[in-house]
Amino acid sequence: MFNLIGSAINGVKHALGGLYQVKRGLETVAMHTWREPTTEAYPDKAPELPPHFRGRLALTVNPETGENLCISCRQCERVCPDKCIEITANKSTETNKLELIDFKIDHGLCMFCGLCTEVCPTYCIINTNDFEMADYTRSSLIYDLKKLTLTQEESAYYFAAKEMPLPKPKPAKPAAPAAGAAAAKPAAEAKPTATVSPKPAPESAKAPETTADKPAKEVEKKESPSTDTPSVN
Amino acid sequence: MTIQTKLPEFKTDEMVINLGPQHPATHGVLRLILTLDGEVVKHTEPVLGHLHRAQEWQGQNRTWFQYQALIDRVDYLSGMFTSWALSRAAEVIDGTEVPRRAEFLRVLCAELNRISSHLLWLGTYLIDLGALYGFPFYPFIEREKILTFFEEISGQRMMYNYIRIGGVQRDPKAEWFKKVEEFTKDFPKRVDEWEAIVTENPIFLNRTKGIGVLTKEVAQAYGVTGPTLRASGIDFDLRRFKPYSVYPELKFDVPVYNKDGDTWDRYMARIQEMRQSIEIIKQVLDMIPEGEIMSKKQNAGLRIKAGEGFAAVESPRGILGCYITSNGSDKPYRFRWRNPSFSNLSVLPPLLEERPISDIMAIFGSLDIILPDVDR
Ligand code: SF4
Ligand code: SF4
Repeated sequence: MFNLIGSAINGVKHALGGLYQVKRGLETVAMHTWREPTTEAYPDKAPELPPHFRGRLALTVNPETGENLCISCRQCERVCPDKCIEITANKSTETNKLELIDFKIDHGLCMFCGLCTEVCPTYCIINTNDFEMADYTRSSLIYDLKKLTLTQEESAYYFAAKEMPLPKPKPAKPAAPAAGAAAAKPAAEAKPTATVSPKPAPESAKAPETTADKPAKEVEKKESPSTDTPSVN
Repeated sequence: MTIQTKLPEFKTDEMVINLGPQHPATHGVLRLILTLDGEVVKHTEPVLGHLHRAQEWQGQNRTWFQYQALIDRVDYLSGMFTSWALSRAAEVIDGTEVPRRAEFLRVLCAELNRISSHLLWLGTYLIDLGALYGFPFYPFIEREKILTFFEEISGQRMMYNYIRIGGVQRDPKAEWFKKVEEFTKDFPKRVDEWEAIVTENPIFLNRTKGIGVLTKEVAQAYGVTGPTLRASGIDFDLRRFKPYSVYPELKFDVPVYNKDGDTWDRYMARIQEMRQSIEIIKQVLDMIPEGEIMSKKQNAGLRIKAGEGFAAVESPRGILGCYITSNGSDKPYRFRWRNPSFSNLSVLPPLLEERPISDIMAIFGSLDIILPDVDR
């Protein structure tokens, strides 16, 4: 008899305790109703992405002059784990320099590791904030030079957002005389940036020992006057 | 609670059924061959290898620099830890001294990652138990915040490649630390909320209390590690047992449950671990020094001296070890990974024995197994 009453009381206690706990839970859920929504209206509103987001790859141009920054050193091609970069370059007979003919990136193979952007000595290849690349065929995911190259404004935006040092202007006596005159003016302005971060210079200087690459040597030669001046000052 | 395994009047034949490989609750591709007697599981045989991607072999065919980017994929919910194990093993061989700021950043990111991994587990575990009514997305709100932090410093939400051999990749800005600090203030309140909804809920208690009891002896025999082991009453946490990085300087508790661990204990162990991780993050934010973050040049020619080394870290799932043999070239000679999920999964057959079908997912989910980590 006592047993029965005891178990009945226990049962009631148990049920009431359970009900109380359920009430606590439901209250918490109800409180969430008054919260601000945490979801984003994505297709209508573009999400805010951090500057270092690793999205679609692209090639920058010099924000000031608009020329392509790639020096065809093929470091990105070599480091890519998925072998999805294909560079076609031709050695021009007059200037003895490599000329970029085509640059293909297969975004269907790319795993967006960003290693290519880390090794690039001229900050040419970068990850953009674009991630909407859905397409109907695999072959249309292979982007060529024209599709990859950013405009001057976009390049300027990414150079600022990613805090990359701006490309150094060419020394006053390059092969193409027209570019020399244009580059002479920003040379004075660009000097301070060179002193703050002389990073690209040691990297390109190191490249010849490991890779024995001709174009990289040329870069070193070409850049040496501009890197020397700040240290003298 | 005992389960009547055989009704006295009639006898049933045993039946073999497959669970998976494509089953939403297995969090990956796992096939379980179940031998059932009526509703009761008599025998379980996990079939592995559906997600095998030859991670070790791929490591031997890529340069160090390339493999670092790949390794987050082993355990995609806690990529920081796989990178950390690899980096530590390589640093052991190379004798690289890691800058102090980098060590603190590593701890900070790893603990954030531990929380995000447990949060995903919490949400999906409730789905496994049938709570599809919306709770599972409460933890995801907080997880999303952590992923945004990682996105800001590493560039991606899950494949971070942030912890590198010799340090970390990028120094976060001051605003980033502020955001993390705000998050640590808010987070304990959220944990209280989830506990109010779940912990004492009578349905949840019925589904988890006394179910899937993992005794100390069985856990030890199968090499179970992580919160699953600590819920069974064994105090074994690598962060305290064999402290690495800056963990000796930090004060934190390791939640251990002093009885045979059932499913509910494993749930509680993870909840408490999240609270402790927040404590660690708060201390790290106070203590983090200024200085260098990288002591080894990160470029395609990254090389490690010849030699061999082993290092392990305490990942959200248990002990994650990496054994490397290097011959001094830019490619590692041999890799070996010790993955916690593999041992934790092997304990599933004894846990499922004589349990009804409805308990399978409750028990399986509580082990927090991630299949790419099992198959590598
Ligand atoms: S992001 Fe990685 S996979 Fe993609 S092209 Fe660059 S190096 Fe190759
Ligand atoms: S690493 Fe940069 S400069 Fe060199 S080939 Fe690639 S994109 Fe051009």
